[in-house]
Amino acid sequence: MNLNLKAQQENTYDAIVVGTGISGGWAAKELTGRGLKTLVLDRGRDVKHGEYPTMSKEPWELPHGGRMTKEEQKFRPVQSRTGWIGQANMHWFVNDAEHPYQETKPFDWIRGYHVGGRSLTWGKQTYRLSQMDFEANGKEGVGVDWPVRYEEIAPWYDHVESFIGVSGRAEGLSQLPDGKFLPPMDMNCVEEVFRDKVSEKFGGRKVTIGRVAHLTAALPHDPSRGICQSRNLCDRGCPYGAYFSSNSSTLPAAMKTGNMTLRPNSVVHSVIYDEKLGKAIGVKVIDAVTKEDIDFYAKVIFLNASTLGSTFILMNSVSSRFPNGLGNGSDQLGRNLMDHQYRAGAEGKFDGFEDSYYIGRRPNGIYIPRFRNVGNDKRTDYLRGFGYQGEASRGSWVRSVAELSVGAELKDLVTTPGEWSLGITGFGECLPYAENRVTLNRNEKDPFGLPMLVVDADWRENEKVMREDMKAAAAEMLEAAGFNNVHTYDAPNNIGLGIHEMGTARMGRDKKTSVLNKWNQVHEAPNVFVTDGAFMTSSACQNPSLTYMAFTARAANHAVEELKKQNL
Amino acid sequence: MNRREAIQRTALALGYTISAPLISAVLHGCKAKPDLAFKPVFLDEEQGRLVSAIAETIIPRTNTPGAVDAGVPGFIDDLLANVYSSEQQKAFTDGLTAFAEEAKSEIGDAFIDATPEQQLGFVKKKNTEALSGGSGSGSQSEGWWAAGMGSSKPFFLEVKELTILGFFTSEAGATQVLQYKQVPGPFQGCVPLAEVGKAWAT
Repeated sequence: MNLNLKAQQENTYDAIVVGTGISGGWAAKELTGRGLKTLVLDRGRDVKHGEYPTMSKEPWELPHGGRMTKEEQKFRPVQSRTGWIGQANMHWFVNDAEHPYQETKPFDWIRGYHVGGRSLTWGKQTYRLSQMDFEANGKEGVGVDWPVRYEEIAPWYDHVESFIGVSGRAEGLSQLPDGKFLPPMDMNCVEEVFRDKVSEKFGGRKVTIGRVAHLTAALPHDPSRGICQSRNLCDRGCPYGAYFSSNSSTLPAAMKTGNMTLRPNSVVHSVIYDEKLGKAIGVKVIDAVTKEDIDFYAKVIFLNASTLGSTFILMNSVSSRFPNGLGNGSDQLGRNLMDHQYRAGAEGKFDGFEDSYYIGRRPNGIYIPRFRNVGNDKRTDYLRGFGYQGEASRGSWVRSVAELSVGAELKDLVTTPGEWSLGITGFGECLPYAENRVTLNRNEKDPFGLPMLVVDADWRENEKVMREDMKAAAAEMLEAAGFNNVHTYDAPNNIGLGIHEMGTARMGRDKKTSVLNKWNQVHEAPNVFVTDGAFMTSSACQNPSLTYMAFTARAANHAVEELKKQNL
Repeated sequence: MNRREAIQRTALALGYTISAPLISAVLHGCKAKPDLAFKPVFLDEEQGRLVSAIAETIIPRTNTPGAVDAGVPGFIDDLLANVYSSEQQKAFTDGLTAFAEEAKSEIGDAFIDATPEQQLGFVKKKNTEALSGGSGSGSQSEGWWAAGMGSSKPFFLEVKELTILGFFTSEAGATQVLQYKQVPGPFQGCVPLAEVGKAWAT
């Protein structure tokens, strides 16, 4: 008994954070920064900033032309669906054989299990949601209303942007609020023409430079990070720390407080719910190396295990109070899975600027903020809208595969950059549907003995109709801007491939129809916070990471205030 | 062609029957085999020589390095050995055999023994055919490219793509034919081409 008590004391913290990705890093930083002794768990191996094995490899130093071997592909059948995972970055993506799940319909679950998670490989596109986004569900009677409005989250967007560093240009748009920006990256000549022509022909429609979490100027605070050197080798890990990741930014900040205990190789089995106390008291962990079961205890628990990871943990946290998963009185846990649809748009060639080129590999492109169902641009055939991402560039040596020249001619040809072309793809909002859901299959187990996650989700009518417009509106802009050879393209993506999976523990005003309250607390277990993508009540069309970070910071500070008031 | 016929005639005259492999050995014995600059893992030596000759025809040494200088044949062999599925491997070797046979009947000599001009002529023909979907029209818009990246990619485009990929991601191709900077520094969007010089490798 005494031994147990001692063990329990040794394993007791003020807070536990499950996951170290883009939101977990923020939970760790905020909670430790406010003085809480915090245990930070990650199911994968530790990765310290700078320990990125391929970060400085030249193209010719990667084995097999950068491609995965047959053997390596065999262990990554799902991760391979991206088409861009190879020797340079495959160590940041899971071995699918070790981490199985079941797909009722194809669902691409692209994941990295290591400290830092997908913050090492994210796209860095950084956009605020707007009042329009927070109001849409309520106004249109879709899903449930967001319990939060823009004014409430805006200061937290400021807080996060100031810390991570976001390069971008203020445009004064209500549907895509400006933030705290570092100097914008350059557009190239053809992008500038496109920007001006689109504005001229479409009543001031904006084309702006992508807003990205890359440093274009030094930040005034620790940890010190370098400025972007346009290597565009980001998904290997950046030696300069020029893009924001947990590893380069939030985790070192948390560590510096002296309040963080980081424990990698810790697979969370479930949240421990004490029936007598009527509250969550800790988490059950399986040590990934020793397979030992260990319990850890804390006053508050932050789930940042990724949308489906956190949802899984809640579903697997069963007790007589919560037979269907912790906090699942609403039966909404696991439902409303969303993603963004993309890979549909248009491209075209541009005559001119043969004498212009660029220096550097900009890890960013242009962005066209949403214009459909904004202001007077009303659609009757679908709800919501999409933004575009794309870029202009000159043809590279790759074009020579399809050229008639061979021999010395081919070498001559490619020493001069090719024609200019510009391509854009939409990123379209996905509505929340109760039928798009994940469940647990308790009859089959993964290698940790945990139930198998089953995903059953698909795009539906609103997304399909929107997708047609994503192509048409792109071609229309390119043609109006004077591009030639304009053609649309459509490379359908399974749900999941956007790697913006979200929504399976949505927040709402009513515990009967939502899992979380407006502070990301589980309605029915308020000392459990879920602040990764699971909380999203709607998907909007913007890349979501900034929103996860802002809500995490807000929730962590709320948790500290509530602890002070002894409400948790 | 004549050499083969000549040997066969001589053999007949001398009353020998020479087996096909021996003819081949005698034929090649008369001429120095090109050295293989790499040790093939997947390909056999003969295939290795053929792949080297095709790659060097697609990207020859000029005043800058060519495919063989850049190690492209070894690159192709490595991808075939480690990355390609058994179906893709078979498609490649079948394609290589067909290429060799067609070259032989077209040129009258084995591709690896042909003159650089003959090799270039044949490779140009295969390239044009492949890009025009075999119709010979020469129109790229009607060829394989218009249909997208299908599994029915003609062999010639497969080997051309591998050659180009191997070459321009090699140090020689990236830094001597094109230009490359691992650390370009802050991005500059609009710079006169004359100031930049050659096309970027990446």
